[in-house]
Amino acid sequence: MIDFSMYEVKEPKISAYRCTSCGTLYYPAPMVCKTCNCRRDPVTNKGWETFDLQGPCTLLSWTRLWNLPEGYTKKNMMFGIVEFENGLRASGQLEVEDPQTGMKLVAEVVESDERPGKSVNVFVFRQ
Amino acid sequence: MANVGIVGIGHTKFGNSSEYDLSDVLSYAAFDALEDANFLSRRREIDQVIVGNMASGLFCHQSAVASALVSRMDMEPVPAELVENGPASGASAIKIGYMAIASGMADIVLVVGGEIMRKVSGWVGTDYVATMLQTETEYNMGLTLPAFGGMFTRMYMERYGLTQRDLALLAVKNHENGSKNKYAHIQAPISIEAISDGPEAAVVNTYVAEPLRMYSTCPVSDGAAALLLVNMDSEKAKSFPKKPIRIAGIASATDTHCVHNRKDPLVLDAVRIAAEKAYAMAGLTPKDISFAELHDAFSILELAISEEVGFFEKGKSYLSVRKGETNIDGRLPINTSGGLKSKGHPVGATGVSQAVELVRQLRGEAEKGRQVSNPHYGMSVNFGGFGNNVVALICAKE
Amino acid sequence: MALDAMEKTLRPPELMLKAYPPKVITLASGEKMVVREAKREEVGALLGTLYPLFGVAKDFYDIVSVRMYSEILGWYRYRVANEFVLVGTIDGVIAGIVTSRAVTAELGMSLHTLTIKRGLRVGAQLFAAKMEHHLDVLGEEEVYIVAESPNGFKRWMIEYQLEDRSSQFPQVRHELGGVPTYVLTRPLWEAVRESKCTGTRPVSPEDLKSSEKLIMPSEYSQIPGFKR
Repeated sequence: MIDFSMYEVKEPKISAYRCTSCGTLYYPAPMVCKTCNCRRDPVTNKGWETFDLQGPCTLLSWTRLWNLPEGYTKKNMMFGIVEFENGLRASGQLEVEDPQTGMKLVAEVVESDERPGKSVNVFVFRQ
Repeated sequence: MANVGIVGIGHTKFGNSSEYDLSDVLSYAAFDALEDANFLSRRREIDQVIVGNMASGLFCHQSAVASALVSRMDMEPVPAELVENGPASGASAIKIGYMAIASGMADIVLVVGGEIMRKVSGWVGTDYVATMLQTETEYNMGLTLPAFGGMFTRMYMERYGLTQRDLALLAVKNHENGSKNKYAHIQAPISIEAISDGPEAAVVNTYVAEPLRMYSTCPVSDGAAALLLVNMDSEKAKSFPKKPIRIAGIASATDTHCVHNRKDPLVLDAVRIAAEKAYAMAGLTPKDISFAELHDAFSILELAISEEVGFFEKGKSYLSVRKGETNIDGRLPINTSGGLKSKGHPVGATGVSQAVELVRQLRGEAEKGRQVSNPHYGMSVNFGGFGNNVVALICAKE
Repeated sequence: MALDAMEKTLRPPELMLKAYPPKVITLASGEKMVVREAKREEVGALLGTLYPLFGVAKDFYDIVSVRMYSEILGWYRYRVANEFVLVGTIDGVIAGIVTSRAVTAELGMSLHTLTIKRGLRVGAQLFAAKMEHHLDVLGEEEVYIVAESPNGFKRWMIEYQLEDRSSQFPQVRHELGGVPTYVLTRPLWEAVRESKCTGTRPVSPEDLKSSEKLIMPSEYSQIPGFKR
């Protein structure tokens, strides 16, 4: 029987990885676990599991970028690096009125077509 | 290890060479180096050509640059290969040239580093440079190299108390040096009043990636630089008119691709490790270094790198800058060429350009007003990506 | 001077425009640029400054210098209504010129911006001064703007986040013939004024004196080997 759920409009997600042998977490996905040397096959993902990276995080640093690359039409954009409760960190776009290092934010995922090529999923950090 | 020396140097004036073919610009610097070494008519005796270039495929729509260059220089059948290491392509090309001589497979090596970036618009160029970031977690988010420069600067300011004025002092120092360097892209001094202290400074020195300002980021430049390396222990070394400047130490190291995956994002492990290996190879310590060329694509990096290589305690380098210790007449001149800020930053050329400056200073050939007095050892650090692949070079006057 | 009837017919009706208060800006090199309104008697220096650039195709200098020359002559000969010319000088030498005009009390039409001394953001400063005159001094509500060069587009359309009214062509049409026409509205100006427009007022007597007599540049980085 065909799995018709594949046609559903899916919420964009960004995946983090866990090595099932030793439990070490990674973002982005590595090709080998640095703790137990377990290799990852990108086709089967055997020995690894993915989970959604999102939710509460802390802002480590941020910037407002005025010289945007080709494809962006805004005047400026804010970016930040955050740390999640599980210790993983990520870079992404920041949509906060008055950013302060150390503030508590929530990481959401949206689809973006501003970069050349196919649409990609990006982090947006909000309060 | 072998005794590798630099016997010829060449350098174009960095700036806008976008109307020229990349091979023309590379060969111009290369021929200057060959003339400096009195070797132009004997160019086919060169054993190996190594070219450093990052993104000619993107900026110039050209690939296989080393092969193109050999023909342009009428040097067939000399072997030629391209080395790519992002903005550290130049110093990596020197390292591979060194390795060719140390391996015994070559006695004379021509190293050429170059880039033409201005054939495309600034926005497209920013996008091309951003391709060195990790695709999924950094590039796709819209991040650029200046964005990381901005975040690094913010963390540094919050942790160590660095001010905007301290960054502006670096621009003033580097422009002062660059204004006397015939090869510099921008040869014009700038005033601290205009970019920091005066009432219009906030607009004149506009933000690029807060808190990083325009006069803390390097320009986009075209240009090339070249070196002729020789095995100093070989008979052939005797053919050159100028005393070789010896490569005392050269080493590189890597760090995580994703900036967010560094244990402490303010610690540049690749810089420290590359420098430690270069010191060990040369049998030197940071105290022995007379002057240095440190990769200031963003002015904050001049400070951070100077600390990682051991010139200053972590977080304290800006205090020494305030006292003028890194000025041309200070105890440890840094970026005597004007640095990337004033000299310019054609990405593939920079590592070789830094080495050319080391040689000019050690030979005593720098322009009046920016010659370091009696230098013995010069060091350069060429920073690839956002610090994930770094090459350190130490040259010695024999 | 009594104007004869024909001359009166040929001149456009005029609004009395407020004068632009001069200001001084310290450029990155440390040099001071005085920004002030040009006077009719200075038209010779302005035209003489533009003339050598007619033959410089690079970076669109040819079209901008030619069109600006005609605007300044049009202003001088009373054939363009409500035009004003601002000039930036460094030690009296002309570093950049901007032309513009008031269409009504509410609407401005930005004409041209030309930088002689490059590398110091002179054009960016003078464009901002032009907008300052339209919106803050003359009290207009919006200004129509077009760009002829990629540099212009980047500095104004993107950095000022100008409103794109190209879809309203031909009702919204810039006099220079440019489509797309972009607009700087008062709210957009309020949002960028602090980061774009700077300068110290009043100008000191020495600085004003240095700018009293406009001097044509003796060299142009755009024209290597130039001799006047």
